[in-house]
This record gives sequence, structure tokens and C-alpha cells, in this order.
Amino acid sequence: MTPWLHPLGTIVRREFVTRVRRRAFLVATLLMPLLMVGFVAAVVLLTQSAEEEAKVWVVDHDGLLTVPTDVGPFVPRCPSCYPERSMLSYRFGREVKSKEELERDGFTCMLEFDEGVVQSEKMQLLQLTPPSGRSRRAMERDMGQALERLKVREQPELDYDVYLSLKTDVSLVVMDYETGEKQGDAKAMVGFFMGIFMCLFVLVYGMHIMRGVIEEKSNRIVEVVLSTVRPRQLLAGKIVGIGLVGMAQMLAWVLLSWVLFLLLGLGVEQSDWMESWAQTQGLSADAVDFQTVLSSQEDLAFLLDIHWPVMLGFGVLYFVLGFGLYGAFFATIGAMVEQESDAQYLMIPVMLPLTFSYILAIQSIDAPESWLSVVSSFIPFSAPISMMVRLPMGVPWWHVAVSLGILAATTWCLVRLAGRVYRVAILMYGKKPGWREVWRWMVRPDAGAL
Amino acid sequence: MSQPIIHTTGICKSFGDHQALAPLDLEVGAGQIVGLLGPNGAGKTTLLRMLTGITKPDEGTLRMWGQPHHRDLLSRMGYLPEERGLYKSMRVAEQVLYFAALRGMERKDAEHELRGWLERLEVEGWWNREVADLSKGMAQKIQFIATVLHRPELLILDEPFSGLDPINAALVRGEMLRLVQQEGTTLLLSTHDMGSVEALCDDVVMLHQGNKVLAGATDEVRESARKGRIFLRLKGNMMAFAAELGARAELLTKMTEGEGSAAVHEVELALPDAWPMPGFLKWAVGHVEVLEARPVKLSMEEVFVQTVASALS
Repeated sequence: MTPWLHPLGTIVRREFVTRVRRRAFLVATLLMPLLMVGFVAAVVLLTQSAEEEAKVWVVDHDGLLTVPTDVGPFVPRCPSCYPERSMLSYRFGREVKSKEELERDGFTCMLEFDEGVVQSEKMQLLQLTPPSGRSRRAMERDMGQALERLKVREQPELDYDVYLSLKTDVSLVVMDYETGEKQGDAKAMVGFFMGIFMCLFVLVYGMHIMRGVIEEKSNRIVEVVLSTVRPRQLLAGKIVGIGLVGMAQMLAWVLLSWVLFLLLGLGVEQSDWMESWAQTQGLSADAVDFQTVLSSQEDLAFLLDIHWPVMLGFGVLYFVLGFGLYGAFFATIGAMVEQESDAQYLMIPVMLPLTFSYILAIQSIDAPESWLSVVSSFIPFSAPISMMVRLPMGVPWWHVAVSLGILAATTWCLVRLAGRVYRVAILMYGKKPGWREVWRWMVRPDAGAL
Repeated sequence: MSQPIIHTTGICKSFGDHQALAPLDLEVGAGQIVGLLGPNGAGKTTLLRMLTGITKPDEGTLRMWGQPHHRDLLSRMGYLPEERGLYKSMRVAEQVLYFAALRGMERKDAEHELRGWLERLEVEGWWNREVADLSKGMAQKIQFIATVLHRPELLILDEPFSGLDPINAALVRGEMLRLVQQEGTTLLLSTHDMGSVEALCDDVVMLHQGNKVLAGATDEVRESARKGRIFLRLKGNMMAFAAELGARAELLTKMTEGEGSAAVHEVELALPDAWPMPGFLKWAVGHVEVLEARPVKLSMEEVFVQTVASALS
């Protein structure tokens, strides 16, 4: 190993080992995937279990929606308007039930329908147990359809079946012209979340760097270290070591989440729940797997539509460069102060671009190809987040190359400049350096160590 | 003297408009113990930081072991700064081995050396102890071990005894002497503890406001700073003797034992250059009975105060 790399490796190892063995790190690393997978499982299981809850008593005062049968109960004029769902079922009648009657018969709510509704298009839902948002939306859709059918029937020249066959809802399937890949907001959301995660990691581990530098400076251990290694080696070792801790945590999260998803999938596939779910979907239990369940969830289906290796690969690349860029800043701030509370005002120049990137990223979800998104994905301070939002939507390769090139060059320059400030500031005690001094250290590289 | 370990010619350092160290010539030979003295802000730490490669001199030549100073030489030094700390999140052995690794020491050798040092400093059971649990004195011993573990040829110690109780200070002092006498280590000791300087240092260098104001062998420095001071034990009429002395010499201290004609007086006098001790004694025996007369050797503390006062004036 070269004389430069040997101490660097030693510093990196110390920074890495002393952090990953902390209880807080281990707890956070193990807990996060459990929370993530638990969230997905909760979305799947809770929404499914909530489907059985809403049982609606529909009071058809004027007999507009229902017809009596010989055997007693009223049946809807339009059975297809009320598709069978595990989360929602209807019973029809002409009389209003009291609360006790509703409870006795197992109803959770009551809907009233009369001539007035046809005019006002507003129905009253009296609830004993609040229906879920999903059930409420289904009721609105079903009743809307029934009302629509009623109105069409009142027009003698219109045939309802013909009307239905002509009625058209258009949904956009966005595809890339060249690759034919499907696009969608959900994909951008994945990029956005990865960018936000990155932002969070840069902030959390950047603060680790700053605290580490302040610790070394305030307990004066830095003098012992600097009598052995160059300030730039110490700075680089700290950034790399702590960056590796962040990456190890991300990797652990990805791997653990993946394993937990597999286990969750296996568990779900072998459970009784899977069979009943398949029945409610009108599918054969043998033909469905966990992937089918996921893809049936509007909120989660996009997870299956992502090029994970590409996203993770570029995610790591942008994290490394972005962390180097911001990490050098955090280290320099740490070197300029003796206690963390003094660092507050110095952090504004670092927090501003991070916040700015976050706001730009939100804009980019809706308009990933707007000039603002494109430009911000080239600006090194916002590129790691902005480009991550754009990436899943398909980006010309040269955009990525230029963005990475600018980011790498800026990171290299700033790490060098930060190193010049760091090596002088780290040995200054008592007096806080002013911006003019900081500038002088940056432009006068001979002011440092041997 | 054989080839000096440290040889500086006109090295100086300024921070902005403030000159922390004026051009300094300094030579430290192999196996010597040299005391670096000076009041706070004298430029000692600045000099030590230049010697240890933490900062570069603005001007001048700095040669170590006969060659221009460069980073490869740093592993031949051990530096214990005045205000020092340890990483709280590490254990004792882990911490010391980390510094040894930074200085390029093989882990096996470092572990072997560390066991020996823990034993010598009577802290055998501390291998896995949390640094956060150590008292200041305990931490001091670990810092000392971390400084000497890689067997440096030059030890630069800034206030090595601060925080140590007298027993542990003696233990560390003994180890320092052992290193110098048995292993030929050169020691540059920056301290305000003048007792240690008298006990340990062959030579002293004193800085004041960035300038070298005193340098030389410790005994010679104390002797030359004496400036005609002598000690007398005498019998006789002290009042008449003092009146005869008048303004020809300065009476610094006086103590009397006994009463009347049996009284014995102990006095310290500062003689002017023009009146050396033999001539004075010839004159004195004509006035009083001189029981004992000897030149006064100043303590290093007195030399320090006197030198600073004269530099200020």
C-alpha cells in the first residue's frame, strides 16, 4: 500500500468500525427494513381486511332503484351497478331503519335515495361505523352509476346498454418513443424517494462528519493525529469512512428489505388469506402469487415497474459524489468551531442548497423534463436529487454523463478547497475565523502542514 | 557533538500580523534532554507544531536527523501535545493500536509493545477499558503510551506531567529517563514545571514573545543567571555590617537564629560585577565572623522569572 493510502485506510477503518458497532446504528439498521416491509404488509393486509366492514342499508323511498320480488326483499333494477366486493355490500328496502334495527341486522351505515337525489345529486349517508375512504369512493361510484342509469332510462330515445357501450373513459399509457418503456408518476416518485433518502443520508451522515471533526478538535486529539498524517488524509478518511457507514446502512436496508419481502411473500402465498383473496378477485388460488397481490394494489404496483439495478447503481454513484461534496463542507464547518452550537449559523450555506434541491425535486415529479428540472439536474448541488427523479422517466445518456461529470469535477475542486480551510481552521482555538480569513486560506495553499 | 537530531536556522512563523516565532536557531543533539521554556504565548507550541510537521515555517531551514524535514521522518518522532484527548468511543488498547497503525507499526509488534508498557505503567488490566471511564490521570498514562509505543527516536512532550499525581508523575519521569539512558531517545520537554527541568534537562531553551531569550546547559544557565548572588552565615553586629555595606551590594534576604552575641545571621547578597566574591570576603572578614560563604545557584524558577522580567524591561 502506498504511504498515502496506508494511513487513509487506517482512518477509514476507525471511522467505520466505531460507528457501525454503536447500538443506535444497529437498531436503526435493523428497524428500518422492518418498518418498510411492515408498511407494505400493512397496506396490503389492512386494506384487504377493511373490505368486509361496510354493509349498507339503501333506503329507496320512491322505488327508483329497486323492484320487489315475490320472495320478499327488494332487488336492484341494475344489479351490475353494484359489483360484488369483499369490502362493501348492499341491501335494499323501502323503509328507514332505526339505529337499533341497523345494529341488529349487522349494517354499518344507511343511504337514503329519493326523487330529490336525482335533482341534487347528493345522498345522505348515516353511519354507525365510519366506512373506509375506499368503501366511500366505491359507494359514490356505484350510486352515481345507478343514478346515471336512471337518467338514461328517462330519455326514451336513449338505450342504456347502447349508452354504456358508447360511454368511454380514456386513460393515458405513457411510453417512451424509442424504448417503448412505460412511464408514470409512480416511477418518478420512486426516484423522488431515493433522492430524498439521499438528501436525508447526506444530512445525517454529514452531521456525523461535523460532530467527529468537532470532537477531534475540542479534545485536541487532532494534534496527535496531524503529527502523523496530513490534514487532507484525515479529512478524506473521515468523509470516506462515514460515507461507507451510510452506504453500509443503505445496503443493509436494501438486502434486509428484500429478504423480508421474500419472507412476507412466502408467508402470504402459503396463508389462508391468499385463498380468500384470490376468490374475491375471481382468480384461481393456484394461479396467483404475492406479485399478483402487489400489482393489484394501486399504491404499490409501481414497485414492480422499476429498473432497480439501474436506479440503485446510479443512486450509489450520485450518493458517493454528493456526499463527498456536502461532506467536505460539513467537515470544514466542524473545523471552524469548537462546539456544535457554534456551527448553527455556518450551516446555512449547506442547508440552503439541500432545501432548494428538495423543492426542485417536488417540482420535477410533475414535470421531469421541464427546463427547471433539467437545469437542476446539471447543477452539482441539486443534481443528486433532481437526476434521481428524472432517471426512472428516461433521460438521454449524455444528460447523465454531463451531470455526473460536472458533479465529480465540482466535488473534486470543493474537497481540495475545503481541505485548505480545514487544515488551518482545525488548529485554531479561541477565535472564530471570519469569511475573509477562510477565503485567504483557500487561495493561499502554502499556509498548511508539512 | 554528533549530528544533531534537530537543527533549525532562522525558522519563523507569523499568523496574519502576529509574529508567533521570530527567526530561531536551535540545535538538539542525540540522546539529550532539552527543556523548552517560556511563558504562555511565547511561541513554544508554534515551534513544536513545526517540528512535528503540523505547520510549516514561513522561512528558515529545518533539518531533522541531518536532512530537510519531510513527512517520512514523522514516524521517528512521538508527540504528546499539551492539551490532549482520546476518542471516547474507543477502548484503551484499540485507541493506542490505532495511533501505532497510523505510524506504520505492525499490529503484532504494537500489541507486544503495548502489553509491556501497560505493565511498566502498572495498568495491566486496562486493555479493554472504555476510554470514557478513565480519569484525567489515567488518560494521561494512555496518552503517554500512545506517544512512545512506536519507539520514537525523538520524543516531544508538552507538559507531560500535568494531571498526574506525584507517584504517577515519578513513574512516568522514570520511564522517560529509561528511554533516554537505555534506548538513546532524544527528549524535547516543554513544561512550566521547573522542578522537572532541573531534575531532567541537560539543556534549556527559553522563548519569550517569539524570541529566544536564553539557551544553554541547565547548570550553566543557572550559574550565569546568578549575577553575584552569594550566601553568607555570619556572627557579629549585623546592623553595623549592613551599614558598612551600604549601597555597595544589595542585601536580598536575612534570617537570624539566636539572640545577642550568640546570634547567627544568614544573608543573601547580590554583589556588583566590580566586586567579585574573593574581594568581598576579604572585606567582610574585617567586619564580621564569616562562618560559611558560597555562591547561590538560582533555581530554574528564579531563572525563569528573572529572564522574563529582564526581557520585559
